Amino acid sequence: MSFLRAQGLEKKYDDSLVFTHIDFALEKGEFVTLLGPSGCGKSTLLRCVAGLTQLDEGQLFIDSANVTDLPARERGIAMVFQSYALFPNMTVRENIAFGLKMQKVPLSERSRRVIEAIELVELGGKEQRYPSELSGGQCQRVALARSLIVRPRILLLDEPLSALDARIRKNLREQLRSIQKELGLTTLFVTHDQEEALTLSDRILLMNHGKIIQNGTAEAIYTEPANAFVVRFIGNYNLLSSTQAYQALGIKSEKQIAIRPESIYVREEGRQYADHVRHPVRGQVVDYLLLGNVIRYRVNVSGVELLVDLLNRSSERIFPAGAPLELLFNTREIREVDEDTQEAV
Amino acid sequence: MRRSNSIGHLSVIIVFMSIMMLPLLGTLLYSISTSWSSGMLPDGVTFKWYKILFVEHRFLQAMMNSIMVCLGALILTLILVVPTAFIVFYYFPFLKPFMNFIILLPFAVPPVVSSVGLLQIFSNDVITLTGTPWILLGAYFTVALPFSYRAIANNMANLNLQDMLDAAHLLGASTFRAFFTIVLPNLKTGLMISLFLSFSLLIGEFVFANILVGTRFETVQVYLFNMKARSGHFSSAVVVSYFLVIMLMTILAGQWGKKQ
Repeated sequence: MSFLRAQGLEKKYDDSLVFTHIDFALEKGEFVTLLGPSGCGKSTLLRCVAGLTQLDEGQLFIDSANVTDLPARERGIAMVFQSYALFPNMTVRENIAFGLKMQKVPLSERSRRVIEAIELVELGGKEQRYPSELSGGQCQRVALARSLIVRPRILLLDEPLSALDARIRKNLREQLRSIQKELGLTTLFVTHDQEEALTLSDRILLMNHGKIIQNGTAEAIYTEPANAFVVRFIGNYNLLSSTQAYQALGIKSEKQIAIRPESIYVREEGRQYADHVRHPVRGQVVDYLLLGNVIRYRVNVSGVELLVDLLNRSSERIFPAGAPLELLFNTREIREVDEDTQEAV
Repeated sequence: MRRSNSIGHLSVIIVFMSIMMLPLLGTLLYSISTSWSSGMLPDGVTFKWYKILFVEHRFLQAMMNSIMVCLGALILTLILVVPTAFIVFYYFPFLKPFMNFIILLPFAVPPVVSSVGLLQIFSNDVITLTGTPWILLGAYFTVALPFSYRAIANNMANLNLQDMLDAAHLLGASTFRAFFTIVLPNLKTGLMISLFLSFSLLIGEFVFANILVGTRFETVQVYLFNMKARSGHFSSAVVVSYFLVIMLMTILAGQWGKKQ
């Protein structure tokens, strides 16, 4: 039996549907991400799970108990907000202890648990500071400690890293995942950043227009996109119409063809390729982008531009604009996808 | 360049301070002068006007009346405005434009007009409030309302009220508890501004006080008006004392704010 189960959830404001037909489940200790573009309904869905927004339809179960009509503070759910939502009039210590104070936990135990939580998020020495005296990353760690200290049954994270700069975001992302694993916390994470979702999640629920489009592991979402929307959202795919696919690769298909840039090879003299790496086509480099460890080439193949990612092993492998290339395709990675037929709700 | 800029900036401050301080310094000087009629400076210095003033029961009573009615009106205003602003900002944010409009209504009617209206309504056989501090309390409440609401609303707009309350709820606090432990302490700046502004305004109010209660509940402004024929030095001493009370209240409130 799943630890968190959502059945037929629906929410609307006046006549406009925010989300509908939402069904999903989380296993105990699982880290699941609600991923989708802005305005797809993922944050409202998270608020409904928390009990901060009322559902119009559907039922929610936590550990087999129906919590649909339970007030937020009785659900045993903690949440970390994008805005941190720290209490400005309280010190780091008071913020973290707030939940325990509400639970009337004795002072001695409260102090012990606050010290543990501060150590867990590595904020030692900052106990007496006020939120206005902390950086964004530190504020978010206080918010995380404040949520974890009450030992929630489920942790909800509403784009907690979005307001932080790239370096802090990366560090905090790793810290977040390691704490979640260490505590075995069932976690539902909301983000619009596909890289964040792919890096952190055990499983991803990909949403668009208020519906779950694909539910699967990060690997499955990345390598087996359910439709053209997933292909576009996950990014960097070569998405060819059936005409383009025939024109460039000679592939006949009624559907669109999705090919990941890293599954395209540049033929090298004398190198042996597996049987499924074939479909040789000739092309010409249009330009390239240096992405650090990867070089992304734009290659013109019979009038169709393809993105090809090659590992940046040495400067000798950089093909200049105009250079002719012979491309090979991993046929196992060529996907036929339907257009996203989901209508906006 | 930098130097000349500094001198320019300093001059602006000096001119501003002079405009603000000179009348007060003149009044102070006049209140401690024996007589001041023929020269640039007073003929002599004396504290006799203050000695007379501070033993005069009528003045002390008027000052007490002013302070009591102002504080009463302020307490009444805050009791009503703080929860109202909270409810509007948290539960009905769409009402904010309506509140912004309605809160300015007291400005639409001049005090002379509204005090005549109040006089007619509250001087009948059924409800007789004229001449009592209660009618002044009500009138002052409407005067303080726009200033208090604006100061508190501005403060509330700067708080991330929705997320803070949501976080508090999820951590086990009721809305009532969250209001007292989180919202109210974070409104300190707004409350302070509201109190300073309204208190200074109300203690200097004359029109409502004179028309609605007059000498039956004499406030310091009405007292000052009634004493105008007595002596210019004495009136100056009243004005300086009134200013000192405002300053004292401001310092006390500031100290309280720091402690909080």
